[in-house]
Amino acid sequence: MSYATEIRGPLVLGNKKLSQVSDDIVAPIGKPPGIWWYIAMFVASLMLVYGAYALYITLTVGIGSWNVNNQVAWGWDIINFVWWIGIGHAGTAFSIFLLLLRQTWRTSINRAAEAMTVAAVICAALFPLIHMGRPWLFYFIAPYPNTRGPLWVNYNSPLFWDFMAISAYLLISASFWYLGMIPDFATIRDKTASKVKKMVYGVLSFGWTGSSREWIRYEGTGFVLGGIAAVLVVSVHSIVSTDFASSVVPGWHTTLFPPYFVVGAIFSGFAMVMTLMILIRKMYKFQDYVTNSHLDAIARILVFVSLIMGTAYLTEIFVAWYSGNQYELFLIFENRITGKYAYEFWAMFICNALIPQLFWSKKIRRNLTVALIISLFINLGMWYERFNIIVTSLSRSYLPSMWADYSPSHIEVGLFLGTIGLFSTAILLFFRYVPMIAIHEVKSVLKHYEREHGMGEPKSDTP
Amino acid sequence: MKTDSKTIIGVFGSEDSLMDALCRLMAENLEPTEIYTPYPIHEAMRVLKRRSKISWAAWFYGFFGGIAVLSFLYYTAVIDWPLIYGGKPFNAFPSFITVTLVLIILIVTIFTLLTFSVRSKIYPFKKALILDERVTDDKFIIVFDADKFDRDQLFTSLREASAEEIIEK
Repeated sequence: MSYATEIRGPLVLGNKKLSQVSDDIVAPIGKPPGIWWYIAMFVASLMLVYGAYALYITLTVGIGSWNVNNQVAWGWDIINFVWWIGIGHAGTAFSIFLLLLRQTWRTSINRAAEAMTVAAVICAALFPLIHMGRPWLFYFIAPYPNTRGPLWVNYNSPLFWDFMAISAYLLISASFWYLGMIPDFATIRDKTASKVKKMVYGVLSFGWTGSSREWIRYEGTGFVLGGIAAVLVVSVHSIVSTDFASSVVPGWHTTLFPPYFVVGAIFSGFAMVMTLMILIRKMYKFQDYVTNSHLDAIARILVFVSLIMGTAYLTEIFVAWYSGNQYELFLIFENRITGKYAYEFWAMFICNALIPQLFWSKKIRRNLTVALIISLFINLGMWYERFNIIVTSLSRSYLPSMWADYSPSHIEVGLFLGTIGLFSTAILLFFRYVPMIAIHEVKSVLKHYEREHGMGEPKSDTP
Repeated sequence: MKTDSKTIIGVFGSEDSLMDALCRLMAENLEPTEIYTPYPIHEAMRVLKRRSKISWAAWFYGFFGGIAVLSFLYYTAVIDWPLIYGGKPFNAFPSFITVTLVLIILIVTIFTLLTFSVRSKIYPFKKALILDERVTDDKFIIVFDADKFDRDQLFTSLREASAEEIIEK
């Protein structure tokens, strides 16, 4: 059963034949990419090189090469970690929530969102790893029989939960992404004339044939993974929020955090999906697959989630006032809304709660340049949100003697730029070698609109 | 699946023509060995009575995985090396729930994928037994084991069911 509404037009335009869908989506793979691809790859590589240098310094010199201090012990590293893991929620939100809700419009977008998820989670995982100081001993956090007792890990600690949750999330999102690509790899294997490609995609397609027995187990596996990953996506960011909420730091010690973090993650993830889909659509001329209606649907979700974000910000302010707690009052009214870091607070508020309200206008939703700019503002705003949470709370603790300021060193900036480079490189390689749109899923919804609306079969699809 | 015996393949150009043909052939007691399609067709799976028990398997993995995880946590935190964290009891069950949930999800994922791989025989470096390369693109095929049916009757029925091509392999 699928759910269709009158407001959502055809999912694929251009009255496509099945083979046209394969041809269109497979076409960019293996073809020399445009000059823009090389320029983007060059810029991404530069950032990656800077990131590699920053990583080298971090590993050889240590955390002392960062500007974090005794008070602001979490700086850009944890800000970037939370930001990336938030972006990494997009794939799950798209692929899984919309899969479970039988939203067929997901089919043109889910593959790119899943790829983005895997790349973003890898970027996210880097930060807590290097934040440990001695990353080569990271396996100490895993509960395994060891020669230190065995001394087992602290199962009550959110940091341990975080390690388990992110490891599980990375594995599941990567598996889900790959599972989705198996039939599409088989399509490339069977369509290509190149022997090398036939061999490579033959290996990648795991011997897929498209039999009904394969399909039924494939769909069953997809639903099981989707169902449990939906629970995981909520728990991952709830756990990230408990890293903060289980402390006694003003501004962190709040029950609002788990839902606030989960919604924020989905918000930034959807914004990044919008950024990416507008670019893919433009660069690869995928207007027939990523239609205005698809982008309109993402914009509608963004405007709704933005309202939740605004409500969360106002709730934080209200609760600080209503609690009467002097530390909360000081934090919110003298250190966030006003004070040294007021710029970051207002940047967050404007980018996340106000600017996306422009999406109420249909004209703006349909203007892709403006939509792209708004989606970038949301990404920026979500970064500021994490800065706002981490730095303002830590920099002005209970006693004035504990106060300290923070600004990042060039190594911390380098690490952040490095992850942007890593993410961009991964996405650019994905554009080049992997089908960007789920071919078999698009084929399965090709006639969906016509069926639901009793418009008969598209002429080009009948034999 | 290709076997040593001959197969007769009916090729169709669309989901609807495949479904019409499949219903017609099933009514004539001509049950195909397998059908191959570019995307999953639920109606066809119903007609062919294809079922998957993979969600039951996943439930099984989750249930026993959960017991295994809780037992492990209890053994390590209470029996093997008990430590007091923040005044909590050794068996701090409520704070074990989160990690138990995450590990159940991990266990279910790994074992469900393995089950899928084993049952469907989908694994790295497997050579695909391709009957017609077009099934991953735009054709839908119905495959019959030639030994089980009368060849002429099968050809006639497939023709009547508007097969675009009939191939013998």
